[in-house]
Amino acid sequence: MTAETIIQSLASGLLMGLLYGLIAAGLALIFGLMDVVNFAHGEFLMIAMYATFFLFAYFAIDPLLAAPLVAAALFVFGAVVYLLVVRFAVRAKANAGMVQIFSTFGLAIVMRGLAQFFFTPDYRSVTHSWLGGKTVSVAGIYLPEPQLVGALVSVVAFIALYFFIHRTDFGRALEATREDAGAVALVGIDKNKVFALGWGLGAALVGLAGAIMAIFFYVYPDVGASFALIAYVTVALGGFGSVFGAFAGGIIVGLVEATTALILPPSLKSVGIYAVYLLIVFIRPRGLFGSM
Amino acid sequence: MDTHFAQRRRRDLIMAGCLTVIAALVPLFVKDVYVQNIMVLTLMYAALSQSWNILSGYCGQISLGHALYFGLGAYTTALLFTKFGVLPWFGMLAGGAISAVIAMALGYPCFRLRGHYFVIATIVIAEIALLLIQNWDWAGAALGIDIPVRGDSWLKFQFTRSKLPYFYFALALACIAWLVTWWLEDSKWGYWWRAVKDNPDAAESLGVVVFNSKMGAAAVSAFLVAVGGSFYAQFVSYIDPESVMGFQFSLLMALPAVLGGIGTLWGPVLGAVILIPLTELTRSFVGGSGRGVDLIVYGTLIVLISLALPRGLVSVFSLRKEAAR
Amino acid sequence: MTISRRNVLLGATAAAALGPMAARAQASEVAIGVIYPLSGSSAQIGVDAQRAFETAADIINKNYDFALPLAKGEGLPGLGGAKVKLVFADHQADPQKGRAEAERLITQDKVCAVIGTYQSAVAVTVSQICERYQIPFISADNSSPSLHRRGLKYYFRAAPHDEMFSTAMFDFFDAMKKKGQKIKTLSLFHEDTIFGTDSANSQLKLASERGYKVVADIKYRANSPSLTAEVQQLKAANADVLMPSSYTTDAILLVKTMAELGYKPKNIVAQDAGFSEKATYDAVGDKLEGVISRGSFSLDLAQKRPMVGLINEMYRAKSGKDFNDYSSRQFMGLIVMADAINRAKSTDGEKIREALAATDMPGDVTIMPWKRVKFDEMGQNNFADPVLLQYAAKNFVTIFPEQAAVSEAIWPMNS
Repeated sequence: MTAETIIQSLASGLLMGLLYGLIAAGLALIFGLMDVVNFAHGEFLMIAMYATFFLFAYFAIDPLLAAPLVAAALFVFGAVVYLLVVRFAVRAKANAGMVQIFSTFGLAIVMRGLAQFFFTPDYRSVTHSWLGGKTVSVAGIYLPEPQLVGALVSVVAFIALYFFIHRTDFGRALEATREDAGAVALVGIDKNKVFALGWGLGAALVGLAGAIMAIFFYVYPDVGASFALIAYVTVALGGFGSVFGAFAGGIIVGLVEATTALILPPSLKSVGIYAVYLLIVFIRPRGLFGSM
Repeated sequence: MDTHFAQRRRRDLIMAGCLTVIAALVPLFVKDVYVQNIMVLTLMYAALSQSWNILSGYCGQISLGHALYFGLGAYTTALLFTKFGVLPWFGMLAGGAISAVIAMALGYPCFRLRGHYFVIATIVIAEIALLLIQNWDWAGAALGIDIPVRGDSWLKFQFTRSKLPYFYFALALACIAWLVTWWLEDSKWGYWWRAVKDNPDAAESLGVVVFNSKMGAAAVSAFLVAVGGSFYAQFVSYIDPESVMGFQFSLLMALPAVLGGIGTLWGPVLGAVILIPLTELTRSFVGGSGRGVDLIVYGTLIVLISLALPRGLVSVFSLRKEAAR
Repeated sequence: MTISRRNVLLGATAAAALGPMAARAQASEVAIGVIYPLSGSSAQIGVDAQRAFETAADIINKNYDFALPLAKGEGLPGLGGAKVKLVFADHQADPQKGRAEAERLITQDKVCAVIGTYQSAVAVTVSQICERYQIPFISADNSSPSLHRRGLKYYFRAAPHDEMFSTAMFDFFDAMKKKGQKIKTLSLFHEDTIFGTDSANSQLKLASERGYKVVADIKYRANSPSLTAEVQQLKAANADVLMPSSYTTDAILLVKTMAELGYKPKNIVAQDAGFSEKATYDAVGDKLEGVISRGSFSLDLAQKRPMVGLINEMYRAKSGKDFNDYSSRQFMGLIVMADAINRAKSTDGEKIREALAATDMPGDVTIMPWKRVKFDEMGQNNFADPVLLQYAAKNFVTIFPEQAAVSEAIWPMNS
């Protein structure tokens, strides 16, 4: 194993990790806001990737230009999902945790079925784009441009998210609603409106991730499944309730995955991620930066 | 209240007895093997879900990794039989015992985790086991294990065409899982679990004993699920890592209890009786279109039931009872 | 029992009464079960398979002037012109569901034969059930070599299995070496389910037998979110030939990742699957110029056998795709099965089995480059010669074996 292999692995792992972080950001935000884990998160990603693909296929819009459009569309979608499904799930008088898990899980199955119904189960790809297939080579280390841009978007998104939560009125409203939904109603904040916007925002982040993923990944109805578990582990590893935790979690997951593949057969590389998750939560039951 | 509780328990037991007798008679009238196959699966899932319910429903430790124990049971039985000629009946007990020990070993660190941290831990542990078996050549790796079937034999617990022996075994397993749950409801453990659920402060004072009871629940639950896995290996006579240890299986095991009523005695049974025939029939008669209609139907149903009846389908019955009283 | 006049009379009346009915039943339909994944992650395969089987049924049931068994005339003449009726079932890639569906088709829909299944794991259970009910099963497109070695009487496979496919690849390497090419090292890249495992096992065995050095043997998790680490190892090994065994999803990601990491393999010789799917070439065809894949079908054959082109047109009208390695084998699966049922002149499982065992179909009445269809005692057709195809100028051309080749291989692929 040469130094070059190791550096290349770590660099690729870091880029992939930042992307995992971006995928997980929405999940972390929604959880932090209302203690709900969206088990249809992978399917949100799938919808975003399809949206990007169709914008490319029918309107020849490059995925990079499509990204804000897809994020906007997913924002609406997320808010609608909250209003139609999740709103009722959090109201459940019994077994609240279970109802959330299974109503969003049922939603995931419906979304897959609908995707298969409308888009057919065929595999689609964005065949050419500004960044697709391009790569930057520095001293023998290859950094694919789509992943580089993805990493950049991820960093920017997390910084923006930080300022948004801590420095804007709406962010404070989110925080306050999270702390005490009953009290905010007294000061005239509509809890449902805040939560719907939170879900929209979380979905919009997945939209960004999906648009970038579509540049270098294939799209089909089950594509979300590969990323969903990684996203849950990423969020939990960083700690539920902490958006920054998802960022750190993503980087750790990416690096651990790359390192494991150097040591073990690549078919076992997820074992490394899972083992690190277990190790961390056995030592710190709230994840690295979790507040709950 | 106590007498009321005792009355209800006696009524439950009588009802279970009647239902078992009725179920046992059904195959005398229903000869179609496809329908019998669905009945076997329904009973198997009722048993699995009932066992899952012990840990996740009563004890409140939501596990989405029970496929681990199911797979361990299936693999232990199949490996012992194909490699060493050990009869599946012994394999079943061995698989159950191994699973129970592993459940306690894993429970020790995992029960410290709360909520979603625990759920995700159960998922990733099962995934790790799946990946290890998938890469373990001696155990067949991805190729799985094909259990040779050579004629009907009770000793080897394999039957070429008849579904009846499988049916009665699955019925017995479902009854055992139900009886264990019934007995636990009225045991010391059952009281502690209820106390902890109703009053989080009680959890503090009962800390150690509750922890031990959770370990016990994990062991019982894992043992029964592993026996179910052994049964599945014999029933299908072929196993591979994805089909017995996949995440999908963990969910399938939980769904009947969730839809029927989690943490209730009758929930898993009711859930399985409705859900399993429904999934089998939608796949057989709608799924052939290749357009995912079966997924849409199935998913919508899960969303609607979990939203409309958070206490599960059993709550429909108890509500009516309340109203009648 | 003595035969009384009365009994004879009764029997005659019964026969007279049943006679026309039996004839009518014969003239109507012969149900054949077709079990594929129609939902879930490999649903597209099942949907394409449906079209392939429908094309075959169409040719059997209507009158076409092809030199294909049963094409001329309508239906099965051996059964009074009975039409073939396909009963589709969805196994969702789950062995348990596959066996339940096989049992349902046999007992409820009374199918007299079963064809399937794409996933080899499902073929294991479906063929077991068929054995138990004494219903013949044709494994149309499963390539796992272990399938026919389980001592099943009702199992048949007209198409090649992975060892035959891999043998063709190594024959090709040997031939290239004779022509002075340097081929010493191989990299294997295979997914972790049955397909990839079986394929890699036979390739490892052949490599050691024929003196090739395997410099990287990389097993990866199917549907991985990233293949970066895997590709780095392939790049570091930089073998003379990269031999991937991957389904469509991973094939697309592999090719994209190789380009991103600046790895240009000297040669790719692929074990079909993803490398024969249209979706892969739609996505990354520009990077696959010169890739070689094994196959059991080639459209080139249309030059020698015009009906291949015409049948392909029929399939394209239904599916929007050309025949590929899978759909062509599925198509032939039904033709071979229907031919046997026709010769059996019966829908009895045992009789069809005997007819299948007696099958001897010359290669030129198929759409495949096979020598013939003739099963050995294990139900495997050893005369199904695989071909190697090279993707050049957006088309697949046959390059091996020589008798089927229409052009020379471009070697190394990027030259």
